[in-house]
Amino acid sequence: MRKNRTDANFEAVPDDQQVKAGVPDRALVERMAAGEERALGALYDRHGGMAYALALAIVREGADAEEVVADAFGQVWRSATQYDAGRGSVAGWLATITRTRALDLVRARGRRTRAVERAARADPDGLATPLGTPADRADRQIERHEARRLVTRSLAELPEPQRRVIELAYFGGLSQTEIADELQEPLGTVKTRMRAGMEKLRGSLAPLLVGGSS
Amino acid sequence: MTDHQWTELTAPYALGALDPEERARFETHLADCAVCRAEVRSLKEVAVLLAESAPAATPPASLRDRVLREASRVRPIGARRPGRAPWLAAAACLVLALGLGYAYLRERAERERTVQSLAASRDTIAARDSLVATLLSPDAGTAALAATGQAPSARVTWSPSRHRVVMAVFRLPPAPVGRTYQLWAIAKGKPVSIGVFNTSPDGRLVAEMPLPVDLKFELTAVTEEPAGGSPQPTQTPFLVGKVSPAD
Repeated sequence: MRKNRTDANFEAVPDDQQVKAGVPDRALVERMAAGEERALGALYDRHGGMAYALALAIVREGADAEEVVADAFGQVWRSATQYDAGRGSVAGWLATITRTRALDLVRARGRRTRAVERAARADPDGLATPLGTPADRADRQIERHEARRLVTRSLAELPEPQRRVIELAYFGGLSQTEIADELQEPLGTVKTRMRAGMEKLRGSLAPLLVGGSS
Repeated sequence: MTDHQWTELTAPYALGALDPEERARFETHLADCAVCRAEVRSLKEVAVLLAESAPAATPPASLRDRVLREASRVRPIGARRPGRAPWLAAAACLVLALGLGYAYLRERAERERTVQSLAASRDTIAARDSLVATLLSPDAGTAALAATGQAPSARVTWSPSRHRVVMAVFRLPPAPVGRTYQLWAIAKGKPVSIGVFNTSPDGRLVAEMPLPVDLKFELTAVTEEPAGGSPQPTQTPFLVGKVSPAD
């Protein structure tokens, strides 16, 4: 369990370092909404690695990924006042913005995403091949580490055809029809695999899901 | 489409993998299907976690500076209060900041007022629309209520098809503190409460109230009651009107 420092405590700590520990993401976003750049820095320290890794899994070059991340954090900063905790976690919000920006950039350049490239080469490892060194460093990242491990393992445990259609949709930004074209499989097969795969993931990721299935 | 076919679309929708027309149709369905909405919410949570499966990668150290530099050029939309800039920079920018800050605050306050007054106007217009519709409905009935002495008078118009009553009151001072006025419909000699109301300091009120379905009544009456109204009148009505239905 993460210990949530209260706002009052947070207020009393002037040191930049202290912003990073304990304070819930949500409180950081509130501070950003109040125009506090330091809170944006803290949010970046927490989730910048995830956003960069996600961007890089979609676009192909580091420079593009950097642009995507800078844009995404810019959007998070500008719209911090509109963040609605009822609609999901801050990390999820950032991931959604990052993914959308990354897919937009790829489309704007008329390119294919990295995921589609890999699928086209029928890479049996899918996306699970590391593209760089682990971004996580301090022990406060343990929770995040565990989440990453569970997601990666759950995905790896899916039958390969199911994993592939899900990755092509999420990281490749392809519709079911486009996936069917890409894989030269019947559309019905793609639909069945996507649904079955998502159901399995929901089961294995249950510990990380807040809302449950109801 | 059967319900079953709709649930097939929840997973691809959560992954953003529906074709545009299919997505549009599904979103129309989502608007009035709580089951699919709950399913989509849950599957979107799963989809969002997929971000964690991206192969780890370390962003260059310069990216943090870039993020902060770009942010420092803009303020969050509708930020509630200005940020704490380093004091030197703040001092250097003081004159400019004062001007901009003032303009910004004024503009923000203006916008908030606009948003509020817009919402209020929308409510007012909706209420007015409903009221006019009741007054103009073809089946509207009316009753003029006169006081047994002089001063106050009221006119009640209702529409059985819209189940609404519009009450217009004139020259009736507001009820004392802790008291309220209550409008009754007398059906076969038995009073049925329509609603409670109060007048403005100028003694006037135009208000719309719900009318119980299928209520047939011969008289309308107004009494003064304890705040919140009474189940049955506790005093003799001071305003009474006979019904003159529309034919």
